[in-house]
Amino acid sequence: MSFWRQSSKIIILLAMLLLLIGGLNVLGCQPTKAVPRGWSGAAVSDGALFLGSMQSKLVAINVSNQERLWPDVPFEAKKPSGGFGCAQAQQAVAIYGTPAVTEELVYISGYNGKLYAINAGTGALRWVYPREGELEPIIGGPTAASNSVYFGSSDGKLYALDAATGDRRWEFKTGDKIWATPLASGDTLYIGSFDKKLYALNTADGGKKWQFETQGAIAATPLVYDNTVYIGSFDRYLYALNAADGSLKWKFMAGNWFWARPVADNGVIYAGSVDGKVYALKAENGDKIAEFDLGSPVISSPVLVDGAIIVASEEGQIYSLDTVNKQIKRLADLGQKIYAPLVAGEGIVYIHSDKDILHALDVKSGTTVWSLSLKSE
Amino acid sequence: MIGKIWDLIILSPMINVLIVMSGYLFDNFGLAIIALTIVVRAATVPLTLKQLGATKALQDLQPKMAELQKKYGRDKAKLAQEQMRLYRESGVSPAGCMFPMLVQFPIWIALFQSIIRILAVIPEQFLNLSRHLYSSWASVFSLVPLNSNFLWLDLAIPDKFLILPLLVGGTMWVQQKMVTPKTADPKQQAQSTMMLWLMPLMFAFLTLQFPSGLALYWVVSNIISIVIQYYVTGWGGLLPAETEKTAGRDKKYIARIAKAEEKPTDYADAKADIDSDVGADIVERESAQKEGAGRYPPSLRATQRHPKKTKHPRRRQS
Repeated sequence: MSFWRQSSKIIILLAMLLLLIGGLNVLGCQPTKAVPRGWSGAAVSDGALFLGSMQSKLVAINVSNQERLWPDVPFEAKKPSGGFGCAQAQQAVAIYGTPAVTEELVYISGYNGKLYAINAGTGALRWVYPREGELEPIIGGPTAASNSVYFGSSDGKLYALDAATGDRRWEFKTGDKIWATPLASGDTLYIGSFDKKLYALNTADGGKKWQFETQGAIAATPLVYDNTVYIGSFDRYLYALNAADGSLKWKFMAGNWFWARPVADNGVIYAGSVDGKVYALKAENGDKIAEFDLGSPVISSPVLVDGAIIVASEEGQIYSLDTVNKQIKRLADLGQKIYAPLVAGEGIVYIHSDKDILHALDVKSGTTVWSLSLKSE
Repeated sequence: MIGKIWDLIILSPMINVLIVMSGYLFDNFGLAIIALTIVVRAATVPLTLKQLGATKALQDLQPKMAELQKKYGRDKAKLAQEQMRLYRESGVSPAGCMFPMLVQFPIWIALFQSIIRILAVIPEQFLNLSRHLYSSWASVFSLVPLNSNFLWLDLAIPDKFLILPLLVGGTMWVQQKMVTPKTADPKQQAQSTMMLWLMPLMFAFLTLQFPSGLALYWVVSNIISIVIQYYVTGWGGLLPAETEKTAGRDKKYIARIAKAEEKPTDYADAKADIDSDVGADIVERESAQKEGAGRYPPSLRATQRHPKKTKHPRRRQS
């Protein structure tokens, strides 16, 4: 008798438990999950800036008057929220990649695993990939070249789509997640993967030209300069590889990961590291010319403007590095964290901070030309 | 400041150790979590044994607590006072049962923080990982991010198949059942039943919210607890048959006491009865008073039953 009583009690409680589990899954309640926020950089094109805001929107700004070219285009969430008692059910879609812009279209990808092609003139959606469902989160940005658009996903695949229609042309599978933005140079596409390899692919069909294996995961975008590919890895090394066959020319070790893309000027490579330093290295042999301590990690990719390297530290310090005399000068202290890659146009550098504010700084004086909160619309 | 100390003393060591352990365990983060669980539980064995001792002592006090309930049930203040006195005099601390669990809280938090950093789910969290890596341990730089797949699980997210919540709840229920004291008092029985189900349900619910890696720690930790518990006290309250046997034995005690109080038996008859019941010792009122009734308040000494520390007066004669 007691056995049956005990059993019925267990069955009732198990049923309640299953009901609870089912209910929670239907409602999509996951309140303890950390929330991705994004750090999209801006793309400059024809007097306009395009970037993803932390409000899950593609924003188009007229540089001359800082007004919107068209209403912000919202991203669709990966999972519709239930909202029943779930404080964080309304999760924004983080946008980490910098948009790619062609004459007609703006391409932008998000953590929701989708790539969108938006009409640059009107903000209307042209196509979305995939048309049904979604991929794993897309962290890196898209690259547009040769009538194609390329991007990598956390599913480990690099996708090549028809730039006009969004039809898939080919895909290339790597051994782990792809968080990097691909780089197209001539008929070669370079992409780094968390499988520790840098791949050189044929842009036409995705055929592998060569691969180079480092000792750590790769999240950085490579730099191609003077027939050499420069790529930073989580193993703390910056590698210089022959663009033709991927053979190693030299490597340089920093104190921590390389996340930012390096820049080159006049035979010198400038590479920022998560160890808080920017290293100036001879392009031909990797010899260190100078190092500059910024005090906090360099995650944001620097930019070359009028003979100066503009670089931001994570803590919001903006520096100008003179490429001629190798002197560093602090331009500004934004007091906000900077992860997004920098971009420049006509003597102005644009910086997207973690407060979702876009700053426009004069690269000579460091004065703030304007600041615009992307939350406003 | 507290954050820095936390990072320095707990989070960074855990992150680096987990990464290195994964490297040695076939680049498998799930195996690293299991190994970590075993190491943590091995390091806290003295605390666990202390907890088991405290739980056992609390169980031994249950008859006395029931007596106090009966005696002072209406006078709550007096009841609380007497209960505290009982705890104090018997050297038992209810907090002693909770301490080993509290010690594990920081480990759970650090493990949760480690998982979301090491497995590269969210870029902001993963980027934060770079601050925690020991620059002198070159291997940690080449191992991150770790693979999040283990068996059917993605260790970075809750179990989609809901197997893990059932495992966490099930193992915790078994563990709770083993330590739940048997009591004849219906109120205490109801309380024990509530506790028996509350904790497993709560942890099963938490498993739905947290990354599977943390739930994997809970499952393995529960299994280790069950094994330790088994070796120290046996299956405890888990087996219904044992409960019935005990209950039957108690009935025998009651019958014997009643019989003894009505008509004193002669020594030969009693000896035969006692020999047939191994371990069935009864401390009678007289002997209890002679021996000072151990550690219990005078109000309860009259009914003390303490099998191992007292001897039957008639056995002393033989």
